[in-house]
Amino acid sequence: MNDHRSVGIVMIEDDEGHARLIEKNIRRAGILNDIRHFTDGTTALDYLFNAPDGPAKSGPAMVLLDLNLPDMSGTDILAKIKDESSPLRRAPVVVLTTTDDKVEIQRCYDLGCNVYITKPVNYENFAQAIRQLGLFLSVIQVPEVEG
Amino acid sequence: MQGLARTPFGGIPVGRVLIAAMATGFLALLAAAVAAGYAIRQENRHSDWVIHTYHVETVLIEARRLVEQKETARRGYMLAGTPAFLDSFERAHAALVPQIVELRRLTADNVHQREPLAMVVRRLAELDAAQRATNELVRQGRGAEALRLFRADSGLLRMQKLRAVFDLMAREERRLLALRDAEQTASRHRFSIVAAVSILLFLLVSILSFLTVRRYTRDLQRSRVALADLNATLEEQVKERTADLALANEEIQRFAYIVSHDLRSPLVNVMGFTAELSAATGPLAELIDRAEAEAPQIVTEEARLAAREDLPEAIGFIRTSTAKMDRLINAILKLSREGRRVLAPEMIALDQLVEQITDSIRHVIDDRGVTVTIERPMPVVVSDRIALEQILSNLIENATKYRHPARAAEVHVSAQATPGRVIVAVRDNGRGIDPRDHQRVFDLFRRSGQQDQPGEGIGLAHVRALAYRLGGTISVESQLGEGATFFLSLPPTLAIESA
Repeated sequence: MNDHRSVGIVMIEDDEGHARLIEKNIRRAGILNDIRHFTDGTTALDYLFNAPDGPAKSGPAMVLLDLNLPDMSGTDILAKIKDESSPLRRAPVVVLTTTDDKVEIQRCYDLGCNVYITKPVNYENFAQAIRQLGLFLSVIQVPEVEG
Repeated sequence: MQGLARTPFGGIPVGRVLIAAMATGFLALLAAAVAAGYAIRQENRHSDWVIHTYHVETVLIEARRLVEQKETARRGYMLAGTPAFLDSFERAHAALVPQIVELRRLTADNVHQREPLAMVVRRLAELDAAQRATNELVRQGRGAEALRLFRADSGLLRMQKLRAVFDLMAREERRLLALRDAEQTASRHRFSIVAAVSILLFLLVSILSFLTVRRYTRDLQRSRVALADLNATLEEQVKERTADLALANEEIQRFAYIVSHDLRSPLVNVMGFTAELSAATGPLAELIDRAEAEAPQIVTEEARLAAREDLPEAIGFIRTSTAKMDRLINAILKLSREGRRVLAPEMIALDQLVEQITDSIRHVIDDRGVTVTIERPMPVVVSDRIALEQILSNLIENATKYRHPARAAEVHVSAQATPGRVIVAVRDNGRGIDPRDHQRVFDLFRRSGQQDQPGEGIGLAHVRALAYRLGGTISVESQLGEGATFFLSLPPTLAIESA
């Protein structure tokens, strides 16, 4: 992430409060990248693959993904992003969810998720985890999207 | 079940019916036996009477014969005059006397025979006198005189009368015999009736008993078949029920997990934004401070109170409440997770495990000044180590926690193997638990006694859930103020259901 402004962060999170808290804490870690927030899977997928300013059409992106969504499971979105034919298959996906079920975690990594984070219930820990995630985001490299 | 409960003959128990039948049968037999005995006695008496009658007849005939012989000898003597006839006469006379004596003895019991007999005796005496008179005349050679006397005496008539009396006596005996025969026939008839009734009764009772027994046996057989069927399907039923229960349990576990899990999401928001609020009060309070210092007239009392007291207080309450809610949700989550964890049975030496637990909470034990004693030896069990460790560590920790203010705290841990069970007892001399609360303390979020110790009322609920999972039970014996003993009863070997 040499040029922070060029890597968009796509946050798919159905809970507005969580989304706000995540954004606030990422900002506190000094990340100034553009954050697009979606509360359901359909519009998020539409933006990811079809929107002219979306990651598939223009520029690299990374995805923050919640697994509990109203219209579809987060793992479905993960599978679509990481599919062999997907232009976004190399885009880093951070699963950020409340589930700490072992089977679910395994499944996400099998599908190709890059990081799996369980949201701590305790807010202090939650805030700290998000800030650390921000620090992490500031140092990782994101590949260019294939045309 | 229905076959076992049913009794033949309108609810009268089978045993009583059989006993009544047997008693009736025996009574019938007894009656038959008595009747038979009576009949035999009658028969014997009758035989005696028949013999008696024939005896009388014989004697009568013999007497008649001797009378005739005597008369024949006298007549011969009158005709021939030879002494041989006289001898014959005397012999007949000598033989006749005992016969008459015998006849008197035999007919002594019969009044009807007495008169004829007396008549016989009188006639015989008269005849004898007449005979002897002619005999004497013949012996003296006065044959013609004797013959004359014989004619005059009408000896023929005398004989005829004697014969008639003898016939009378014989007839009388015959009459008696006929009478007794009739009596005997009646007696036989009576016996036949008694015997027939007895046999009939006996047969009836036998049939009744047989039917009862057969019915009872059939019922028994039916019950046995039903029982066998039940037995055969029991295992299957148990398996089915167990599967159902496992399913229901799984459902509850999943429910608890989902509920607690989904409750966490909004809670994160509440806690998160409370933290944001809390962070925001800092600059706000600072602003008030500065305003107070630089321009006190713009700071209203309300604004000052809101920034310095109301906001921090409200945030404080929200925080403690959400923290508590967080702990409760975590407890449910922990319980549901524990219920989903796969158990791994292994050999566990209980004394080592207990020692390990007391070591791990040594600092707590020492802080509270508690003496923990472990009674050895302890049996070895095959069970899940983590679950067992959590159970015992909860129990021991609790035992050291609720101390009695007036005495030095002591905790005693012992274990013993009974057939089919291993029982671990954790005994303390603490403040005890009111017997009313013995069940309640194992419920989630429920506690007992004075609430002066930290805790959410989770530990014992967790212990009970774990004990159940290990196929065990947990119970407590305690009186208020007298310490408590918790008993953990476990199977020696944890069976893992294949499901």
